[in-house]
Amino acid sequence: MSETVGHSPDRAISGTAHSISGPIAVLVLAVAPQLFHFLTALGFAILGMATKNPLQVLADHIVAFGTALRWLGWAITFLPDLIPAAVQALFSWQSNLLTPVFAKIGGAPPDTWLALIYSYPLLIIAALSFVLKPRCTQDYYGGIALVALALFALWASSDLQGMHGFSFGAGTAPRMFATILLLLGAAVALIGLVTDGPDTATYHWRGPVFVVLAIISFAITIRPLGLVFSAFASFMIAALGTAETKWLETVIVCVCLTAFCCVLFPYGLGLPMPLWPRFLNW
Amino acid sequence: MLDLFSNLGLGFQVVFQFVQWAPSWLGGYSIPIPVNILLCLIGALVGTLVGVLPGIGTIATVSMLLPITFGLPPVGALIMLAGIYYGAQYGGSTTSILVNIPGEATSVVTTLDGHQMAKQGRAGPALAIAAIGSFFAGCIATVLIAVLGAPLTKLALAFGPAEYFSLMVLGLIFAVVLAKGSVLKAIAMIAFGILLSMVGSDIETGASRMAFNVPELADGLGFATVAMGVFGFAEIIRNLDVGAEMSRDLVQQKITGLMPTRKDLIDSAPAIGRGTVLGSILGILPGGGAVIASFASYTLEKKVAKDPKRFGRGAIEGVAGPESANNAAAQTSFIPLLTLGIPPNAVMALMVGAMTIHGIVPGPQVMQKQPDLVWGMIASMWIGNLMLIIINLPLVGIWVRLLRVPYRLMFPSIVVFCAIGIYSVNNAPMDVVLAGLFGLVGYWLIKHDFEPAPMLLGMVLGPLMEENLRRALLISRGDWSVFATRPLSAALLFVALVLLTLAVLPTLRKKRDEVFVESEG
Repeated sequence: MSETVGHSPDRAISGTAHSISGPIAVLVLAVAPQLFHFLTALGFAILGMATKNPLQVLADHIVAFGTALRWLGWAITFLPDLIPAAVQALFSWQSNLLTPVFAKIGGAPPDTWLALIYSYPLLIIAALSFVLKPRCTQDYYGGIALVALALFALWASSDLQGMHGFSFGAGTAPRMFATILLLLGAAVALIGLVTDGPDTATYHWRGPVFVVLAIISFAITIRPLGLVFSAFASFMIAALGTAETKWLETVIVCVCLTAFCCVLFPYGLGLPMPLWPRFLNW
Repeated sequence: MLDLFSNLGLGFQVVFQFVQWAPSWLGGYSIPIPVNILLCLIGALVGTLVGVLPGIGTIATVSMLLPITFGLPPVGALIMLAGIYYGAQYGGSTTSILVNIPGEATSVVTTLDGHQMAKQGRAGPALAIAAIGSFFAGCIATVLIAVLGAPLTKLALAFGPAEYFSLMVLGLIFAVVLAKGSVLKAIAMIAFGILLSMVGSDIETGASRMAFNVPELADGLGFATVAMGVFGFAEIIRNLDVGAEMSRDLVQQKITGLMPTRKDLIDSAPAIGRGTVLGSILGILPGGGAVIASFASYTLEKKVAKDPKRFGRGAIEGVAGPESANNAAAQTSFIPLLTLGIPPNAVMALMVGAMTIHGIVPGPQVMQKQPDLVWGMIASMWIGNLMLIIINLPLVGIWVRLLRVPYRLMFPSIVVFCAIGIYSVNNAPMDVVLAGLFGLVGYWLIKHDFEPAPMLLGMVLGPLMEENLRRALLISRGDWSVFATRPLSAALLFVALVLLTLAVLPTLRKKRDEVFVESEG
């Protein structure tokens, strides 16, 4: 069902057997939610919007990592009891065995859970990736990313109610499918580890960056500045995405297209959108 | 039988509906306008226009054009969507033949002989036979839908939640087995899609799930948003990669002699017939039947041909068979959607999305409660196919000219159009940002050789699956064996299991890969 059979992605022939960029990417992925949290807080602070102090956010996460580590050490002593209890808890939240554990950590902040459920497992995987030599990096890292996604979903749905007698709670199905994705992702990664296959294709930054920038600039400007400006701007930004662009020709096409859009969408299709910047108010 | 005719009659009545248009400047006179036919025409035209752009497949086209149907009344919107769908499919064949770039998986085999014919200066007959074959297949498939629709609806009434769940599992497994590439990765993509569908409010408890207090996520991820990102934007980004530079092997000769000769027609008639039968059968099966149908038809034509060596060198049967097969399959894949409410492939999934936006829940009830809608759509499929013949043959010249527009000018335009399109769905800037992010996700998926189509299917089926799973387990008082003890459900799950085993078995996998490899040779 591939939509684009015509031109398969270029497979980079990386000569070196063991690349360092993969494990580093996993390492970054492991702390990505925390980084994202910090950066958004920082961004809001710079824009002067009321938010949590970014440094406080950072400090909270560091503390969370520490707390999670303390729990891990403590939990290891309970390990034989803990594994069946954890499986049970995944779907029900009603495990008797885990009651003392929950009594201790039940009211813990989600940051700690994030570190425990998401970051530490991925950090371990990242560490393993430095040592292991996967034979098909495309599948190996693809599988790991799915594992990361599944762990993140497990964390995101960890505050939801589980089984309620016979009936599913809000959190049962998400945890169930996250677990399935976790297992499938792990299987993909393991197969990539031991069987031969293509290496990860090279990424190019120019196309993705400018296309996404164009899309985001459209989203930001459409409300305050209107269709004329935002369509023009996002066309020009997108045009930066390739080295082939010839500017004169691009500007002419861009003007024509903007004019066409401004006729087609608000008038032809009757969609309600502002044409001109709000402050002009014609 | 009588039912059938009255139903089809109703359908055509809906399609040929005239609306009296009486603008004030006509001074009291009114002009009757066949609104639905016009919508179908516009849909087919716009669908072809976008479908012709290289690298943009059917799913991307339909998802890009979804927003323009939102302002219409439900019947008109669905008729227009059907037009867009056929237009997009035909546009894909056009690029296959003229530039050797298949717009989508179903027209991959068309490149083999179609482009060779074009190189020999016979692009006209190739395009014409593709349209004629599609039209013939479309006619047969339309009748088939009308015949099978009603009985299958009755069958659907015997379905409880357990059966629905098992049927959806079967459909997803079909989608995996018939798709290209690794079975395991495709299943993982389905799980990813189902997980994505769970973002937002829980249907039963109303609890906010995985939404992180973002108000825009409270309603869940928009289907059109994800589809546009993963198919539309991801395609654009990928096409920009250095090295993935498209070889524009454009046919430069002037296209002369559109009509196929008498010999062409005689040669291709049996191929069209075989393709139609194959396609109709495979299309009913849930899960990307159209792709496998075109491959299977090509293989069959090669097997029955007296001189198989002609294939790959411009044999007209190699165009006629697959094109008929994929169109027949595309059309019969409406059957599971209309009768059981289960989309068998990603395009149908988009149709469900569109229907839901218009407040229609596809399934057995629609057939009974809104017969004008269902039969109107079925009749419009036939009209849509007819439109393709009428409008596209004269317009081939325009499509060729469009293909000469350099990509450096094309892609920013597509980006802007898509952005406006998504924004107009909900007037929500956040949707546009999300689509952009999903564009990156789609780019990543392509780089790691994951198929986005199963993900989309999982995302559409996710809520249905969860709902039926919950209901089935509630009825059975938490007993999971209900899926194995109810006979219909057990049979469906058994078939799914057998299929999965077959797909994983090494010998069969080799065969399956062979079918796909043939196309690349």
